[in-house]
Amino acid sequence: MTGNPSPTPIKPPEKFSPSKLLAKIGKGAVLTDPEEIKKLVTNHQIWRSVFRGGIWKNTPRDRALHIMGNVWLHLHPVRVRLRSLRFAYSWGLGGLSFWLFLLLSISGILLMFYYRPTADLAYRDMKDLEFVVSFGWLWRNIHRWCAHAMVLVVILHMVRVFLTGAYKPPREFNWVIGVTLLTLTLFLSFTGYLLPWDQLALWAVTVGTNMAGAAPFLGNEGPFGDLLGMKINNDIRFGLLGGTVVGEATLIRFYVLHCVFVPVVMGAITMLHFWRIRKDTFSAAPYSPNEEKLETWPHLVAREYVAAALATVAILVWALLINAPLEEAANPTVTPNPSKAPWYFLGLQELLVYFDPWIAGVLIPNVIIAGLCAIPYIDPNPKGVGYYSFKERPFANTMFLFGVAMWFILIAVGVWMRGPSWSWYWPWENWAVHKPPPPPTWDVPNWIGGSLIAAYFTAGIILPRLIKKNLNWKITLPGTLFLCAGLGLGLKIIHALLLDKSAFLAKNIPIFGPGSFILIVFLLFTFAFFGVLMPQRYIRSLAIGRYAGTMILVLLTMSILIKIGCRTGLNIKYVFSLPQFNFNI
Amino acid sequence: MPKIIRTLFIWANAGLLATLVAVFVRDGNREWKKYQKQYFALEAQELEEKAGAAANPEEQASLLKQAQSKRRGKFEIRQIIVKDLVRIDRCITCHVGMDSLNNPSLTTNFSQNPYKGHPGDFLKTHSPTKYGCTICHQGQGLATTAQAAHGFIKHWEEPALEAPFIQASCAKCHDNFESLPYAETAAEGKRLFAKNGCYGCHGIKGWGANVSEDLGEIASKPLSQIDFSATGLPREQWNVKNWILAHLTQDPLKIVPGDPEGRLGPPVPPSGMPPFYLDLKEEQAQAITSYLLSMSAEKTPYDYHVYAPPKPEPVLALVVERGKHVFDKYGCAGCHGIEASGGRRNFNALGPGQDPSGLDPIVEMAKGRAPDLRETVGTFTHEELKAKIQSGVPPANVVKFKADGPTPPLFMPPWKEKIKDRELEDLIAYLFSIAKKTEEW
Repeated sequence: MTGNPSPTPIKPPEKFSPSKLLAKIGKGAVLTDPEEIKKLVTNHQIWRSVFRGGIWKNTPRDRALHIMGNVWLHLHPVRVRLRSLRFAYSWGLGGLSFWLFLLLSISGILLMFYYRPTADLAYRDMKDLEFVVSFGWLWRNIHRWCAHAMVLVVILHMVRVFLTGAYKPPREFNWVIGVTLLTLTLFLSFTGYLLPWDQLALWAVTVGTNMAGAAPFLGNEGPFGDLLGMKINNDIRFGLLGGTVVGEATLIRFYVLHCVFVPVVMGAITMLHFWRIRKDTFSAAPYSPNEEKLETWPHLVAREYVAAALATVAILVWALLINAPLEEAANPTVTPNPSKAPWYFLGLQELLVYFDPWIAGVLIPNVIIAGLCAIPYIDPNPKGVGYYSFKERPFANTMFLFGVAMWFILIAVGVWMRGPSWSWYWPWENWAVHKPPPPPTWDVPNWIGGSLIAAYFTAGIILPRLIKKNLNWKITLPGTLFLCAGLGLGLKIIHALLLDKSAFLAKNIPIFGPGSFILIVFLLFTFAFFGVLMPQRYIRSLAIGRYAGTMILVLLTMSILIKIGCRTGLNIKYVFSLPQFNFNI
Repeated sequence: MPKIIRTLFIWANAGLLATLVAVFVRDGNREWKKYQKQYFALEAQELEEKAGAAANPEEQASLLKQAQSKRRGKFEIRQIIVKDLVRIDRCITCHVGMDSLNNPSLTTNFSQNPYKGHPGDFLKTHSPTKYGCTICHQGQGLATTAQAAHGFIKHWEEPALEAPFIQASCAKCHDNFESLPYAETAAEGKRLFAKNGCYGCHGIKGWGANVSEDLGEIASKPLSQIDFSATGLPREQWNVKNWILAHLTQDPLKIVPGDPEGRLGPPVPPSGMPPFYLDLKEEQAQAITSYLLSMSAEKTPYDYHVYAPPKPEPVLALVVERGKHVFDKYGCAGCHGIEASGGRRNFNALGPGQDPSGLDPIVEMAKGRAPDLRETVGTFTHEELKAKIQSGVPPANVVKFKADGPTPPLFMPPWKEKIKDRELEDLIAYLFSIAKKTEEW
């Protein structure tokens, strides 16, 4: 088994006869040569009836037939390119996602033998799994930790695919399928979150599903919901929960979604994903002449095995050391403070501080999904396919990593920095020490706010395209920083004047709280750099349609930062507000 | 194939094997097995000693055989399914001596837990196969590790009750617990609860006033609604029992400090509960706690209950005695002191010796007092006093010491619906009898 596919020297076939060998054993001969034992086993009629192909001679033909003739392996090509095998290229993340999905299916099915999805029994069954069912604790721990690991690995897989440009033609649609699978992974994990029926489950799902009630048109609290006659007992949230609150009807719904519906859909789409990988060829890397190709058996299969085995060991160690959490039995009358959604949704929950639920919980996630799907179609850069390159794709990589970083920073804030009443607590602070309530907020008058929003998007789209020459960043960057500082100062002063003119003039109110001033300048500069300077430098010459599409996504991302700044630095609640339609921005 | 893949292949398989072994070791060595093994070893030892003393060799052989089979044992989860309560109690998995299938007498000669039998003869009247264990002892019946089963873990809010607090469980079903042997502490608690006028602020299932929380389901209060941080209790002792106890053995002002100076918004008074810890002995605090721990939200089947006739009202000849009885019955002592011996603390109300320029405003506000009836009653006419009792003093009308301080937590509820007719007249007569005499007009 060397890396060199030079033909194995074929010895004159040895006449091998099992019956002769058995006769030898019958005479008292002892088999000691492992090769001989192996031969006896693999050439036996039973073995050969199970595995197709002739007598195994370990020729290239044998190895190719082994891949083609095996239903489990035949999604692989017979031979793969060396560069797609490199660990530091794919990090094995796609394969690991699938392996975790399989581990989850196995452990999930075993758990289903014990779990009964009713409000009276679900929690008790959790206790039984922990305390009396043989290996019950193990399978529950594996299932829980695999679920967390899978969400993370799927996200990392997406990042990897983006950075290697593997979504570019002809793989655009497979990227879209991948985004769908990511969404399904999150939904699958979320539906499973409810099943232990403890306080953690009940309230995380309550927080998560409350977002549905804020959906525009379809939710009773969402903008324009009234127009369609949405009420608490007929909107989309009601459909999801099977009631007006998370209750027993929700439990059976989520159980069926979690154990049957979503896994089946996901399995089918996964097959589609794999099929396209196979048909669009295994690696996006550009061909080089005389490129070395290796046989899938054993080179790829061995790597896959090693990766899966190591991941399994990691999960098992995790499951041995830390038990899956289980809090008090679900109690709809006791609301924990804070109630937190599952960690992967905490970024969105954190945005609830700055936005109404219909934006934070419905609009933003949908724009993220749509934006991700749009990426292959609005990125016309043909370079950087199949390898990591920052130089060839500075704009795409920067903006994508910026978005991912923002997502994880918001999650980290939600997980570690938020305490009772969603106040800011550093991880080392005691939650029992109460925090003062946030300062009172104010709304920008609609005519100003509306004009500002219109100006933001118009100027944001036009401005980078207007400046036709390359700016020298050595001058532009400090200049921009200076400008942002000045603008931040001006905003703080205007804010102070609006708050209380006389107190400000008498220097009685501390307007330059250094924290909020630095935050405003930081956010302004981030916006200026990622929202204006980067597009100006790299995408100003794109075709108008793609340019506009890209800029809208960029500006929408940046508008989140701007709103965070408005709220934290200037205490603005709404920039634009139509309370009669629940339409507040 | 690169060497690293071969090496990793070997290590990954070794890792799988090792974790697999670890999984089997962990699952095979569950904590309860240790106890069950030891229990049967003790039983076997007993039989072997008996065999040693046996005169008859046949008997000896049979005893030894029995001992041998005990040692070989049948190690299994043992549980009581309590149909009435839809509970499963696995306590007898370790406390094998109390498994009636294994040990019908439910007594053993072993003195050590978890091997000993159940003390006393409670199980004769409370069949464990009917009632299970946790209905009295609390703890987590489903669990099979010592710590989790006794409930001293996070997220289990009913840890096992030890003496004397377990008497709360008697009072759960026995409405006549005041006349029961073994429930004396809980009975004493109920008496002290009335004597100190707790009813004046805390109702119990509707009986009593609503100045503060109704304690009718206090034993089931969710811990997430309690802030233990000022009690000084270590985290593993954060439970309802210690929360009640802390109110009676520490100053409530300290354990529920509120925000009297308005640092976080409008000022919030500390707990309005007077400092009973000054008057109560440790055992008395425990007694009241034992009584209150019987106030569980959990419903028990009606046939579990032993009903007691309501206590008859005492027949008292003297009007003043009858009035004193009314004073005690409705918990007036809670604010006005036992036998109206002086107003108790009412934070930020007016009180004697308050210094508006005092250094520590909290200390000054804490000098606030409910009215001392001996001083004030005399200033009322009969009709005025009657009107006062009937209408009470709403929180907003309690005169504050510091105008911008918090609203004093104690106020006088309107008694119109509760104290009327003869009781009201008796009470008024009693109050005038203790009032300091003012000059006759």
